[in-house]
Amino acid sequence: MSDLTAVPPSSVVLVSGGSRGLGLAIVTELLASGVKVAAFARTVTAELTALATKYPGQLHVGSVDVTDANATQAFVKEVEAELGPIDGLVNNAAVGQDSLHVHTSAEQLAAIIETNLTSPLLLTRFVLRRMLAKGLKGRIVNVTSICAQRGYPGLVAYSATKGGMDAATRSMARELGGRVLVNSVAPGFFASEMSAVLGQTQLDQIVRRTPTGHLTEPEEVVPVVRMLLLENTNVNGQVLVIDGAASI
Amino acid sequence: MAELTREQIRDLMGAVLEAQGKTLPADDGADLREIGFRSLDFSELALRVEDEIGDELNFDAPGLRQIAKVGDVLDFIEQLQSA
Repeated sequence: MSDLTAVPPSSVVLVSGGSRGLGLAIVTELLASGVKVAAFARTVTAELTALATKYPGQLHVGSVDVTDANATQAFVKEVEAELGPIDGLVNNAAVGQDSLHVHTSAEQLAAIIETNLTSPLLLTRFVLRRMLAKGLKGRIVNVTSICAQRGYPGLVAYSATKGGMDAATRSMARELGGRVLVNSVAPGFFASEMSAVLGQTQLDQIVRRTPTGHLTEPEEVVPVVRMLLLENTNVNGQVLVIDGAASI
Repeated sequence: MAELTREQIRDLMGAVLEAQGKTLPADDGADLREIGFRSLDFSELALRVEDEIGDELNFDAPGLRQIAKVGDVLDFIEQLQSA
């Protein structure tokens, strides 16, 4: 008989970039589900602070830049001391882009890659080392983007980093032998991002081409993240696109 | 870095359009859509300017979206050079 509880639901989840937007929505949902959560971001927002007050002992927050490896690693140890061993990780922190490739400086390219690809891989490596050393099983969810699969102007480096994380997701799922379930969620454009990165014409075109008739909302992504962290599934090494079928 | 004058930038802009069989109007108030100067044409112009001045001109897209007239293009490139 197969062991249906091979990878148990996460009990302590670390969320990077958890102070606003999708990250904050994920933190809020996990707390409501009874999970212990650690969240960091460059700036701890009032919303995140309010959650810490509402969930004492269940939420640990910190002001940490994801590109500062020493600081993120110190935060991980702090979380372990405060909440217990981490057995769930959501790589959500990322920077966007709004510049044509030919006019994006080499320094800006490097910064996007460092924040969106190198830093999450380093954080994942550190969390996995701690997890495996303690004999724990766990779950990882990488927040990527439909940009990893479809082309959009002004997002070349950003798309490359998200595609890189999707590729890493598949290899990690293989490498970790089922001891850790590793998946990506790839949202379509959120309304707020869309207005900044794409013009109104392209926005209207995407909405017209979306069978569900609207842009993606963070609240539509959160249940999928929760499922990947908490539900008993055999989903592993997958990229789950959440865009109302706009991209098919 | 050797900066180009507004007139030199205008000459390069004219060359970009001429290569497509189009003509750059003398009026700085001319609408870019009407003369068929698109965002990639702007990139081509910026790269031609880079070749002349020997330095990269990098910028975010939002600034580019504000450009609507010939004069806006010349202003934008001038500002980039002096930034």
